[in-house]
Amino acid sequence: MTSFATPAAPGSRADQTLSWNMRLLAHHNLEGYGGIGEGMSLQLAADGRRILWLAHESAPKNFTGVDVTDPRRPKTVVQTDLPHARMRSNSLDVAGDIMAVAYQTSGVDIQPAGFDLFDVSRPEQPRRIAHFDCSGPHSRGVHALWFVDGKTVHLSSGAPDFKPRNPLDDQFYRIIDVRQPSRPVEVGRWWLPGTRDGDDAPPPQRLAPKFDTGFRAHNTNVFPQRPDRAYIGYIDGGAIILDIADPSRPAVVAQWRYSPPFNGFCHTVLPLFSRSLLVVSDECVQDQGADWPKLVWVLDGRVEANPIPIGTFPAPPVDAFARRGGRFGAHNLHENLPLPSSFQSDTLVVGTFFNAGVRAYDLSDPFQPREVAYYVPGAPPLSPVGAVQLNDVFVDERRVVYTVDRFAGGLYVLEMDL
Amino acid sequence: MTEAPGARPVGGGKIPVTVLTGFLGAGKTTLLNKLVRRPEMRRTAVIINELGDIAIDHDLVKVASETMALLSNGCLCCSVRTDLQQTLRELFAGRRTGEVAEFDRVLIETTGLADPAPVIQTFSNDGLIGAHYRLDGVVTLVDAVNAAHQLQHEAEAARQAALADRLLLTKTDLADGTAADEIRRRLRVLNPRAPLRDVTLGEVEPDFVLSPGMHRAADARALERFLGIEPDARGDGKPGGEDGHAGGHSGGDKASSGAIAAGGGARYLGAHANLRHDSSIRTFSLRFGDPFRWNVFSAAVELLTALRGPDLLRLKGIVNVEGEPVVVQGVQHLFHAPVTLEQWPSDDRSTRMVFITRNIGPATVRRLFAAAADVARDEADR
Repeated sequence: MTSFATPAAPGSRADQTLSWNMRLLAHHNLEGYGGIGEGMSLQLAADGRRILWLAHESAPKNFTGVDVTDPRRPKTVVQTDLPHARMRSNSLDVAGDIMAVAYQTSGVDIQPAGFDLFDVSRPEQPRRIAHFDCSGPHSRGVHALWFVDGKTVHLSSGAPDFKPRNPLDDQFYRIIDVRQPSRPVEVGRWWLPGTRDGDDAPPPQRLAPKFDTGFRAHNTNVFPQRPDRAYIGYIDGGAIILDIADPSRPAVVAQWRYSPPFNGFCHTVLPLFSRSLLVVSDECVQDQGADWPKLVWVLDGRVEANPIPIGTFPAPPVDAFARRGGRFGAHNLHENLPLPSSFQSDTLVVGTFFNAGVRAYDLSDPFQPREVAYYVPGAPPLSPVGAVQLNDVFVDERRVVYTVDRFAGGLYVLEMDL
Repeated sequence: MTEAPGARPVGGGKIPVTVLTGFLGAGKTTLLNKLVRRPEMRRTAVIINELGDIAIDHDLVKVASETMALLSNGCLCCSVRTDLQQTLRELFAGRRTGEVAEFDRVLIETTGLADPAPVIQTFSNDGLIGAHYRLDGVVTLVDAVNAAHQLQHEAEAARQAALADRLLLTKTDLADGTAADEIRRRLRVLNPRAPLRDVTLGEVEPDFVLSPGMHRAADARALERFLGIEPDARGDGKPGGEDGHAGGHSGGDKASSGAIAAGGGARYLGAHANLRHDSSIRTFSLRFGDPFRWNVFSAAVELLTALRGPDLLRLKGIVNVEGEPVVVQGVQHLFHAPVTLEQWPSDDRSTRMVFITRNIGPATVRRLFAAAADVARDEADR
């Protein structure tokens, strides 16, 4: 391509905005607290407003509610603070008017670590109705949660009674019954055999120290199409499908472990039920391409116990992005949340790739996924890594795409031309 | 806005490409020289045979290299490098990494004698290009001074005019009025559905050149106009129509016969002009009330292109595939990927197709589709 490079465009620059089939409708800096984690959910409020709830990446802010009824004019309706700076919320979900917010601490044995339930029927005034404590001598609390049916919160979490053999393996899968929202009760849990102190099973073979990010649960998704299955990204343990028909005794249906040879950190397992496919995303966790490649995989899931990889999403051009600043590679996907406010598709998958922006892929041919749209915002002012770091994405049923920066850029509202 | 069903663009977000064609001396360079300066050309990549042909003042150029110039209005001019396919691939790759200024549409200048078909073929045969670009349409320049001779003696010139989505008549200021009228009549006969506009000294509205094709399914009229199936284009209330040469349509065929030119006003003379000069090329439309199964439709089209590809200059239309509206278009043996619309552009649910052919009549084509349907029905009955 050098022959086409012109003096004004000497290669890819982090300050450039790049777009194809996605257009910016609005950008909101979230009152200067533009660092958002991986908690995004859209509430259809009783008064007709659409409130996008966002969990912050780090202290001091807890969560922010943004009125996106008019996606061209997003307005902050509430922004809350954390009790102290040694914790973060990172993850949240909303079912009806109840919001669950995760709390993870920066070390073990710090409170509060766990999750809160809020009544957000009046979005301006979220009212806490319960706290579920997960703190303990070996626990940092909850990293991610899944709450879509109003009845059960599925967690990636530590617990007061759980001592991992290796401190990196502190967060496992927990199932919490919240049908009585003021009295959450644990009804099941599962960890990778060999990771808990005292397990009979031998400890799993760890990745090389450079890539060892632990055998921990990350996203723990359960869909109404298969209420007896949990689809779990288990970080260095790969993609895991659990039978949770009896939540007190989860059983492994399938485990697809692909690191090594890859560099770990399986993040999301998204089933496309109508097509018997699974889409599995990694998370990039090192800057400057140090853990490249971090990919999104397509698996043939026709035989549930034997998922077979059949392709990967065409990755953004590594030469252009790897050293653009910060992380480069896959992270969150829009997860077809079973909510009336959520876009649902078994052919179009949207994901965030840190400095390579937000991208949409057409899976009509699962053997040859095609990139069909992208939006890479120019580096936000005050970004500590000098490039955008799109962290998470939510697509609403109007096909409006909401995506957030990890550090400074806040919220980008986009329209897809697809 | 995103809420409206059918508001999304037809073509799956691929970058639309217009092919600009015309015989040597028809005025393509003059036209391009004027066009690239227009503000409407922002975010348009123009692929030109020789960058040096465009006499761009230095004060208009933002940045330039040997092969590319980004003008201050945002128009990106590039020369064809090794070949067109390579150029299109590199342009998209550069756009994706930010090395090339972003563009949302492409205008390709073909060489003077070039048959546009190979250019169009590029979009069907090259998977990478087909994934990112789609042919939006063909704009043909016709030279009012020389066209009388060319249309008569050069099969290629007639073909370029026949398969155009837009026709531009150049040098009308140099031709005498009667001669220009005669060319207009002959163009109307060759290609009655393509909008025709006079161009003097290359002055043309960019929209006329850049947007010949399908855009948003919600814009039903524009879609029907592009497909040549708009109900009132012919002034006879019928969708499209046969060109009327040789005394009209064949018995038993439902192809409608209508006026030769919308606004041309010379139906009788036009028909005879057609007979005299370009009798082998004809335009007709067919309408089918019953929905097709896709395999039946595609089998019929495949047979037609296999046996008579070179004589099927153009096919455009909307096909009822088991209730779904599917837009098809092809040039000779090349067919674009069919596009399923989210909604019908109007209440009319019948299949409507426009054919521009050489020595193939509507009755033949209709029988072919009917036979394919019969064969499939027999198979289903077994």
